[in-house]
Amino acid sequence: MAKDTKKVVLDVNDLHVSFDTYAGEVKAVRGVTFTLHEGEVLAIVGESGCGKSVTAQTVMKLNPMPPARIPQGEVHLGEHDIVKASEKEMQTLRGKEVSMIFQDPMTCLNPTKPVGKQIVEAIRHHRKLSTAEAKAEAIKYLKMVNIPNAEERAKQYPHEFSGGMRQRAMIAMALSCNPKVLIADEPTTALDVTIQAQIMDLLAEIKEETDTAIILITHDLGVVAGMADRVAVMYAGKIVETGSVEDIFYRNAHPYTQALLKSLPSVDADKTERLVSIAGTPPDLLNPPHGCGFAARCKRCMKICQEEQPPEFTVGEGHVASCWLLHPDCPSPEERGEKDVD
Amino acid sequence: MSTKSNEVLLSLEDICKYFKVSGGTLKAVDHVSFEIHKGETMGLVGESGCGKSTLGRVAMGIYPPTSGKLSYKGKAVNLKHGSDRFNYSKVAQIIFQDPYASLDPRMTVSSIIEEGMVIHNMYDEKRRKERVYELLEMVGLNREHANRFPHEFSGGQRQRIGIARALAIEPEFIVCDEPISALDVSIQSQVINLLSDLQDRLGLTYLFIAHDLNIVKYISDRIAVMYLGNVVELASSDELYKNTLHPYSKALLSAVPIPDPNEEAQKKRIIISGDVPSPINTPKGCNFAGRCPQVCDQCKESKPKLQEITPGHFVACHLVQPQKK
Repeated sequence: MAKDTKKVVLDVNDLHVSFDTYAGEVKAVRGVTFTLHEGEVLAIVGESGCGKSVTAQTVMKLNPMPPARIPQGEVHLGEHDIVKASEKEMQTLRGKEVSMIFQDPMTCLNPTKPVGKQIVEAIRHHRKLSTAEAKAEAIKYLKMVNIPNAEERAKQYPHEFSGGMRQRAMIAMALSCNPKVLIADEPTTALDVTIQAQIMDLLAEIKEETDTAIILITHDLGVVAGMADRVAVMYAGKIVETGSVEDIFYRNAHPYTQALLKSLPSVDADKTERLVSIAGTPPDLLNPPHGCGFAARCKRCMKICQEEQPPEFTVGEGHVASCWLLHPDCPSPEERGEKDVD
Repeated sequence: MSTKSNEVLLSLEDICKYFKVSGGTLKAVDHVSFEIHKGETMGLVGESGCGKSTLGRVAMGIYPPTSGKLSYKGKAVNLKHGSDRFNYSKVAQIIFQDPYASLDPRMTVSSIIEEGMVIHNMYDEKRRKERVYELLEMVGLNREHANRFPHEFSGGQRQRIGIARALAIEPEFIVCDEPISALDVSIQSQVINLLSDLQDRLGLTYLFIAHDLNIVKYISDRIAVMYLGNVVELASSDELYKNTLHPYSKALLSAVPIPDPNEEAQKKRIIISGDVPSPINTPKGCNFAGRCPQVCDQCKESKPKLQEITPGHFVACHLVQPQKK
């Protein structure tokens, strides 16, 4: 694959993140491994509470520690070791090497400062520029994210911006120091569909122009289909399947991925057809199950699924899934006595 | 999926709902008329701030309209009149968007569900308790849940409690105000299936408000598209998707991401620039004129009226005119 020749910008290896709460240790992320190459869009999909945001926040070390802990695992951002990095080191990395766009643009901008000033602040922290130069840079980036009348807009406060414009300003701020990795944590969830289309268009443009690697965290599979190069599906703190976007949508191997895709009504869905729903709810990560996290809701669950965690099996090139059904010794559906698996 | 008929259950005639705010009048709903037939699901879509929830609340009787007429089964309902409103609340109920905010955290599930029956003086106490159990089982919970409090439930389960509460007084018409947008994908389909099962079983009529257009298409018989307080297009859901006429509906439908990479790569997306303008002091002409890719002079001068282009397909746009016979 052509991707392999590109430089790896982020390497996450067997990452565990736990939160110490009064109720006990919540194992939010339980062994996540992925790599991100230059200029690539990796989508992390999953339901709320599956650990996708915690994973991304750990890359930037935004989780307050304590209560968060990293019991084991490694995160390498270029040549920097994030797990060992001190807060001071992190401050030089955040914004410069890796930056983030948050879900809610309303609460992520400082309401007491003009938008332009906030961008200048980020630029001046990392780049040795005079105030006037930084101001010109800020306006350049605001123009780049298609904010009309950028010179005037830079002087306005966040409340004078609409939701879509605030998100654009956030993107401008995130890009202002040319980060190698851009983490977009549900960048369009709070926006309307027509505005969502505008923002996705902008992100695609940025990817073309700047070679920034993007981690796109979302639960909207439609957005994933349009944007991502590779997809990681997370469930109960683990990545259950990784592959190219075609692998995940057309050649998926994990029952959770399959159920997730089937639970969406397609545009030409037959109305008499019932939606396939996944019964039950995700497991409580205070006491994560011994076996596969999805076992309790899986229609094809076997005895081993409840007892042991499935290792990763290679499905195709660059396509791996963690499910016992993929084990070479796994009996066929007929032998297991399954009738109609749907 | 639903038992459609042509009997008009609810009719909205020229409904307006204005709010006085500093800086002018906010026209949340501006001259909207349509009918909802018995047993159907009417979808209502639009972006945030287009007035869809306000319209839903008018239809359900929470907000009395500023002007216009709401009639139920041919009889006018005067929502400013206390007893009329009380009687109307017996037939029309609502399921709210946020299952975390819409249940009183200090009431048990049983008292939440029972409350409506107590207010409407239905059944004696013993029968009410039985009815609570029946309802819990109907929405896929069990009777042990009756004495628990809302915080003990997950989002999907809370939404089921909200549905049980709405069903408690045996209403005929339910406004579903974004009932699934706060839920996860795998839970969404559970709730959608539950809603359509209940419709089949109890012959309910839904006004289904949502911004997820794929879900709306799946569940609705007819769909109304709203923009800034006006209904801009209304048609059966198949017709609306196959033969979209209003420029705004076209842009809205093309903006919906499809969960299929190949289709997504081929699709031509109409990106409309700008944001939804403020509903305070709206323009003289068509509300969409400022963002419309096909805008002409007439659009800035006068507001287009909603007219029937083909049978059952209504559009409000100067560029789309009915064919003269």
